[in-house]
Amino acid sequence: MDGELLAAREYLPGHWLQTWRVPSLASRAQPGQYAYVATPPGWSVPLLRPVTLHGFDRVPGEVVVQLAPDAPAQGWLAPLPPGGRATFAGPFGRPLRIDPSAHHLLLIAEGSSIGRLRSLVDRALGAGRQVAVLLGAISASEVYPSSLLPDEVEYAVATADGSLGHHGAVLDMVPSYEAWADQAFAAGSPDMLQDLVTLLRGRDARLGVARLARRPGRRSARGAAAAPRDWLQVVLEQRVGCVLGVCLGCSVEGATGPVRVCREGPAFASQELAWSDPA
Amino acid sequence: MTGDDPGDHPGDPGVDLAPERPGALVLRTPILAAAGCLGYGVEAVGQVDLSALGAVVTRGTTLHARAGGPAPRMTDAPGGLLHALGHQNPGITTVLERHAPRWVTWEVPVILSLVATSAEEFAALAERTDGIPGISGLELDLGSVESGRKGRPISYDALSVGHIVAAVRAATDLPVLVKLSITSPDLRGVGRAAAEAGADALDCGSGPPALLQGRRAMLSGPAVGPLALRAVSELARRSRLPIVGCGGVTTLHDATAMLEAGAVAVAVGTAMLADPSLPIRLAAELADQRPS
Repeated sequence: MDGELLAAREYLPGHWLQTWRVPSLASRAQPGQYAYVATPPGWSVPLLRPVTLHGFDRVPGEVVVQLAPDAPAQGWLAPLPPGGRATFAGPFGRPLRIDPSAHHLLLIAEGSSIGRLRSLVDRALGAGRQVAVLLGAISASEVYPSSLLPDEVEYAVATADGSLGHHGAVLDMVPSYEAWADQAFAAGSPDMLQDLVTLLRGRDARLGVARLARRPGRRSARGAAAAPRDWLQVVLEQRVGCVLGVCLGCSVEGATGPVRVCREGPAFASQELAWSDPA
Repeated sequence: MTGDDPGDHPGDPGVDLAPERPGALVLRTPILAAAGCLGYGVEAVGQVDLSALGAVVTRGTTLHARAGGPAPRMTDAPGGLLHALGHQNPGITTVLERHAPRWVTWEVPVILSLVATSAEEFAALAERTDGIPGISGLELDLGSVESGRKGRPISYDALSVGHIVAAVRAATDLPVLVKLSITSPDLRGVGRAAAEAGADALDCGSGPPALLQGRRAMLSGPAVGPLALRAVSELARRSRLPIVGCGGVTTLHDATAMLEAGAVAVAVGTAMLADPSLPIRLAAELADQRPS
């Protein structure tokens, strides 16, 4: 599907938000999903590059694509002027789902990976929910600007060097919000997600929640969406791959065997993935 | 597929990848889908017109299920793609149960790619496939390191290649394609060993070994095109077996160059990941280019 670049802004050095008119993509995109963009003729390797759908607006048929400095499509998309064109495919993957009974949503992100969760903010606020965003970054110069979030969002920042917000890791802030949150969504490095899952293993005990026995049985990893009642859903990064879901280049270890980030993901309920046990 | 005129035009004999086994593996068009780029083919039904392909080479299949390697498994490299998939597959038993009943209904030949680390393992895999309807041939992926040895892939060693091909030959009557490495230091030697041991065709071949975050990987894509072309040319001058050229093919020009270098057929790999219909387009363009 052909797209036309309408506007672009560099919101941090090397970090871009581009607004594209791609009606058929905008009309079907869901929070957590991604799209592919085709390389132009003559460009290096003819592979499709995944791009993060930072936002979408169905009425004008527009999507906002986020390009981080290390984004595979950065090299040729970022310099494009308004009016530039590109070929998109998508949306792909399983979206994030909000539990209908959840009113307080906690979003936890690291660096530019907040882009993978950003459209969920609009979806949640539009449905009358409350949203808190916790973001971790190396320093203040790499923090996602608060101006890009709606005023209704509670936004807390942690920086590794202490230059803005909490001095430390984003996960340090999670315990303060876990009692408030009905549901949590996270995006970040594999190490950060692993640490988050490890941290949340103690959540029930910290909150004094009784563990109710569940009926035995295996939940399929191939459902239409990440199971909505899972407290934590994560969005994994989609990398270069194929459009058919056959190359297995993005497979990761799931709880019941390998799962493809491109199809079974990129949004997963945390218990659908295999995590390391704490040492 | 055993029709009298398997090519695209009446009287066109098609491309015979096993001349010693008349009619066993004749392709309608010289353009194939390289190993794994369409999975087991069934994943692509409805998205790719498989009948327009010369053949579908499946994902590499092992004796037992493999979960594959850790992430990241695939990443861009200048001019190419690095992949370290670790041969994720459900194992030969599941593959045959799940997919062979569908393959048998297809017009397009299915070549099952086999992955193992010893002659015994390859022979065991071949035995499992013999007599299974729907499989038109076997591709032996010799990119793994031989069991009990260290370092180089099997495809670098003529003795090992000969030993493995002979074991497979004894286990099956199916056409056998041997996938060699385009960077093998003794390409002629391993090609000769494969031929003497009973191979029907040579697939040339696997990309150069590489590293992906410290793990063994392979480079593919346009960057390896000239290497593959050289390897095909070198093999074609010395081997009597049909050769399938593979490596960096993205355009009609690339495919034509492979055929002119001596290949009888061309497998499209990495470029298919972005454009699954590419081999079909190349096949049509090639047919248009050839005199009717």
